[in-house]
Amino acid sequence: MITVVKLHKTIKKRKILSDVTFSIAEGECVGLLGPNGAGKTTLIKCMTGILQHEQGNITFNSKPIVQHKKNIGYLSQHTDFKPWMTCEESLFFFGKLSGLDKTFLKGNISAVLEEVGLKDKGNYKVEQLSGGMKQRLGIAQAILHQPLLLILDEPVSALDPIGRNEVKKLIARLKKRTTIIISTHILDDASEFCDRYIIIKNGMIVGNITEEFQKSDRKQILVKMGNVPQTSEALKSSEVERVECLSPNTFLLTGAVELDLQKVVNDFAAKEMDITSIEFYERGIEEIFLEMVSDT
Amino acid sequence: MTKFYTLTCTELVEAAKEFKFIWLSLFFVILGITQPLITKYMDVILENVGGADGITIDPNRPVPSSAEVLLSTISGQFNQIGLIILIISFMGLIAADRNSGMQDFILTRPVSLRSYLLSKLMGHWVISMFSISIGAVVSYGYTIFLFGSFSFSNFLLFLLLYSLWILFVVSLAILISTFVKSPILIAITTIAASIFFILIKGFNHFLFQLSPGGTLNLAENQLLSVHDSNYFSIATCVAFILLNLSWANMNLKKS
Repeated sequence: MITVVKLHKTIKKRKILSDVTFSIAEGECVGLLGPNGAGKTTLIKCMTGILQHEQGNITFNSKPIVQHKKNIGYLSQHTDFKPWMTCEESLFFFGKLSGLDKTFLKGNISAVLEEVGLKDKGNYKVEQLSGGMKQRLGIAQAILHQPLLLILDEPVSALDPIGRNEVKKLIARLKKRTTIIISTHILDDASEFCDRYIIIKNGMIVGNITEEFQKSDRKQILVKMGNVPQTSEALKSSEVERVECLSPNTFLLTGAVELDLQKVVNDFAAKEMDITSIEFYERGIEEIFLEMVSDT
Repeated sequence: MTKFYTLTCTELVEAAKEFKFIWLSLFFVILGITQPLITKYMDVILENVGGADGITIDPNRPVPSSAEVLLSTISGQFNQIGLIILIISFMGLIAADRNSGMQDFILTRPVSLRSYLLSKLMGHWVISMFSISIGAVVSYGYTIFLFGSFSFSNFLLFLLLYSLWILFVVSLAILISTFVKSPILIAITTIAASIFFILIKGFNHFLFQLSPGGTLNLAENQLLSVHDSNYFSIATCVAFILLNLSWANMNLKKS
């Protein structure tokens, strides 16, 4: 659906993006992760056509992105509308700018407000809305023209727990029908929606993390024991190099090379150990992220 | 075109909601009536408010013509205090949109940068000229009542040419807004640049005629009925406006 090839962007002689290449398929929900100042917002602004890039290509269904603006919905990091406008007026304004027909808009505005849970707030002025409501109105303006791609820049980072919860529920619903790119540095939030993560550091892509990648590292095994062993050393074998105790009966076994799960199970059976569960350890996105963006 | 119209209308409605049309017009009305009243009744004012000790006002001093009074209203009031307040009133024309994220919301739509910048130019020019025209018409009324008649067509021609100067000032504010983010800095820089284009007259007349300030001189000449006016400065002013907008367009695309 969207392909970015060898993208370079310089602002005030400072290189912000360098050789950025990735693609996103229809229906995916991709997390764009990176520390503050990594270049996430600049990348998004190039993808939405707000900023012009010096080198590289951004295509949407094989056509330049600027020809597809009407198919992109965007929620910026700082969401603030004209405070004197009501929610309905705001949406009408953005609908007109999207080139939507007046009659279509009249019907669609109330449907979109209902979708984001602001049905009874249509006549409220923006200045009367809470942070969470403003963010939901932001999402409403982004989905008003029924875009094929939704780009959300830090959609929940500035909200309180209630607001975050409201917006997260809404994103989970939208994920079922739209391709979504979420830029964030809050990894817990990203892991709730995303199928894949693109990690950006100093303007460069340093990781493209899929679910398979998270599972692919088969050097670690998580074991839950029925009986607590007297010493964790008892769990060591020729394959298991290190044993870490995570809780009294949960252990993380690490091998020097890829571990053979069946072999480990057989080894424990031979030692007559009471195992309640054993599985390959799946690394969390936070762990992978920290490893990829750390300077050491 | 529809998008330009939608954006311009929003600028105008916003100005109406903020009562900008009212307070800016009132301000120019006050500026417009102050000059003719002070010129006519200086001795009465001094007598009544006191502080006239040691000041002698020649009772046989020549009475200024209505053209001279109108000119001093424009040069002395509108082009100094008026211009400063006007620029302060629209210093956030792009900065506010940028800081609130509104600019990003607008530009991710199928809206060209040209439409966005032109709507800013048109919206703020209309607001400015609405207020200035009301102030100028009231000033014209007072002047002809107190100092005798003056050609209304010349006055209208003056307003038309003056509006071109204001269009240039708005375009200058737009350009500076693409370089500077702070509204206060935008105001100070725009005021300084506008005053430079006015003051350049005293340094080099030829350069002045080639600058947008030449249009201001041309407008003032309509009040003085000077016929050797340089109409070439209209083209210069238009060229400067286009240059400002193109430069602003380029800047916004880059950053």
